[in-house]
Amino acid sequence: MSRPSREIKQPEGCTPTLLRVALVGCGQIADAHLQEIAKLRTAKVVATCDALRDLAMQAAARFNVPAYYNDLATMLAEVRPDVVHIATPAHTHFELARQCLLAGCHVYVEKPFTQNADEAETLVAIAAERGLQITVGHDQLFDPAWLDLKSRIARGEIGTVTHVESILGYPISGQFGSQVAGDPRHWVRRLPGGLFQNTISHPLYRITEFLMDAEPTVIADWARRPGLDFPTELNVVLRGQTVTGTLTFSSSIPSQRVTRVYGTTGALEVDFDGQVIRSVGPAKAPGAFAKLLTPWKQWRQAGRNLRKNLWRFVKADIHYFAGLKGLSKAFYASIAEGTSPPIEPNEIVRVTQLMDRIFGSARARDVFSSKASLPTLPASVSPANSRTDAGNGVNAAPRELEVAR
Amino acid sequence: MNMLVTGAAGFLGRRLVRELAGEGLRVRCFLRASSKTDDLRSFVGDALWPQVDIVRGDLMNPADCRAAVDGIDVVLHAAAGLTGSSAVMFLNTVVPTRRLMDACIEQQVKRFVLVSSLGVYGAASLKKNSVLDESCPVDEAAHLRDPYTYSKVVQEQAAWEAHRERGLPLVVIRPGVIYGPGRGALSNRIGLQVGGRMLRIGGGRQLPYVYVDHVATAMRQAALEPDVVGEAFNVLDDELPNGKSVLRMYRAAGKRVRSLWIPQCAIGPLSSLYERYSRWSEGQLPGVITRYRSDSMWKPLRFTNAKARQRLKWSPHLSFAEAFQRSIAE
Repeated sequence: MSRPSREIKQPEGCTPTLLRVALVGCGQIADAHLQEIAKLRTAKVVATCDALRDLAMQAAARFNVPAYYNDLATMLAEVRPDVVHIATPAHTHFELARQCLLAGCHVYVEKPFTQNADEAETLVAIAAERGLQITVGHDQLFDPAWLDLKSRIARGEIGTVTHVESILGYPISGQFGSQVAGDPRHWVRRLPGGLFQNTISHPLYRITEFLMDAEPTVIADWARRPGLDFPTELNVVLRGQTVTGTLTFSSSIPSQRVTRVYGTTGALEVDFDGQVIRSVGPAKAPGAFAKLLTPWKQWRQAGRNLRKNLWRFVKADIHYFAGLKGLSKAFYASIAEGTSPPIEPNEIVRVTQLMDRIFGSARARDVFSSKASLPTLPASVSPANSRTDAGNGVNAAPRELEVAR
Repeated sequence: MNMLVTGAAGFLGRRLVRELAGEGLRVRCFLRASSKTDDLRSFVGDALWPQVDIVRGDLMNPADCRAAVDGIDVVLHAAAGLTGSSAVMFLNTVVPTRRLMDACIEQQVKRFVLVSSLGVYGAASLKKNSVLDESCPVDEAAHLRDPYTYSKVVQEQAAWEAHRERGLPLVVIRPGVIYGPGRGALSNRIGLQVGGRMLRIGGGRQLPYVYVDHVATAMRQAALEPDVVGEAFNVLDDELPNGKSVLRMYRAAGKRVRSLWIPQCAIGPLSSLYERYSRWSEGQLPGVITRYRSDSMWKPLRFTNAKARQRLKWSPHLSFAEAFQRSIAE
């Protein structure tokens, strides 16, 4: 059933063989994957796949991909990709990733990795057993602004990290949010962690980068906006041995992706959308002078950030999905060189476990939890018959061979 | 005769419902679970409302489509996505159309009227100032177009395939840019709307405009007129304005429109330049403007509604001046 991973190392002077990548799920995030993989010299996309043939077709046509399929088993058998990117609805990740691993493919799974930690552990174990690499779409860890922040912290700019504050503003009136709000049958609402399961990976892993404890204390609370019958606001407190963290998810504030890291001697704040890093904290000046020094420092920082982003613009180095490119590049390199993957499998499982605990904690404190608990989705659902599922699902079960192109 | 209208709560759909009910026809409106009927009811009016019934469902759900089509003679399919990424447009336009057509074929409806778009033609391949009519080919490189147009081309292809291979009694309506009350008369056919300012491209180029009520009457005719199955019709106003005249009329009506003129001859090279930059920068500025899209959208062409007038026995009942006034009144 399985086949060994393909060796792609080449003798010096030869053009290295490109990794053959397939994309499974051609919905919302598919374009980002296709666009960023196309920028890499180490891989090429050889097939798209979606339960809805039209979706697979349009993605293939626009990104010049030579083949498209609406059946995963057929695609795996015919295309035999080295790597599969899975960008389907969250509840299908486990079964699709499992099938890809069993077919001998390295797998990149979009966030959230799985619906729960058990599924995550199983996938990681299958990958390890078969000598395959697996990663998760924690792409903001490879965003230029985040890498800059990490490098400044590593240089000791804020001393030892003590606390991380992570914010995600996710207006429910946005394109995807309004779909979720308007459809009681939407797959997102039936995930164990509902809307949050699909969204909090990013702010959470920005905390766990610094909060290394295997089992920190977790206190979480969620709430509903007036007029909506599912939780839309989430606050989480994480307490580790030396580092604490707070996570805020709000559908009531403007769209934003901000993390503030506090250390023993200062704090830095990264704003992903603005691609800026700010030093925050009190000015070291007495009395009223502090009121002058603070805006002066902020003005100088703004100048530095402007110059930096101008230079990046000139170099054509400002891309929304730069992190996805960076993560894919590092993932492919780890496959080619047989080195550790860019995100350790243990870390993938740890983040998934924390998400389980966050949702468990919030559910336990939710007085409306009996109302809120919707039937969860089976992991191997084939979403072709549901509007909200459709579009980035893939037929998991083998069916009659169908090659669209 | 029983009619089903999809997208019945929309800009065109509600006028279509009123038009059909006004003809004394029974009209079933297919609405999403979240759509409210209050606006539709007040638009159609209490006198005609008894002829209207509502069915709620999801066009992605085959069972909902079958239930909606049950007992229906003519389906008028006006529901479609208007904005979003290519994937979203396909999900909201192409896939629901396939589901609805399956139900129509299964239940042997007598006619299926599809609202397509004048944008489906391969205008980029036509010669400057040539006449765009129904004999012109549909865009063969539609994946290079904007998501809306691409989805409409594939939607039409799916419908023609169902007509040829499974006997769907299809009539296709290809309206130009639909304007009307609530939507105004500005469009990207005039130019690019950037930061509250209209970058008017050229000025004397004929705009393929059609007043929303005219589309509704053309659809009524497409549903009722004999011997039009298997035909496509371009639906346009008789008097077509140009960009300069539309902006002048806006200003004359006391509306403020800030615009900047880009000569017609410059838009091609500028589009090529932008496209090159977008490619070089690996999408730092997204490739929304390309030479192909620019030629498809802004190439000077002449338009005709002769076939619709002749075969559908239809004609626009309002002059452009009157339709324009109604469009900007609200």
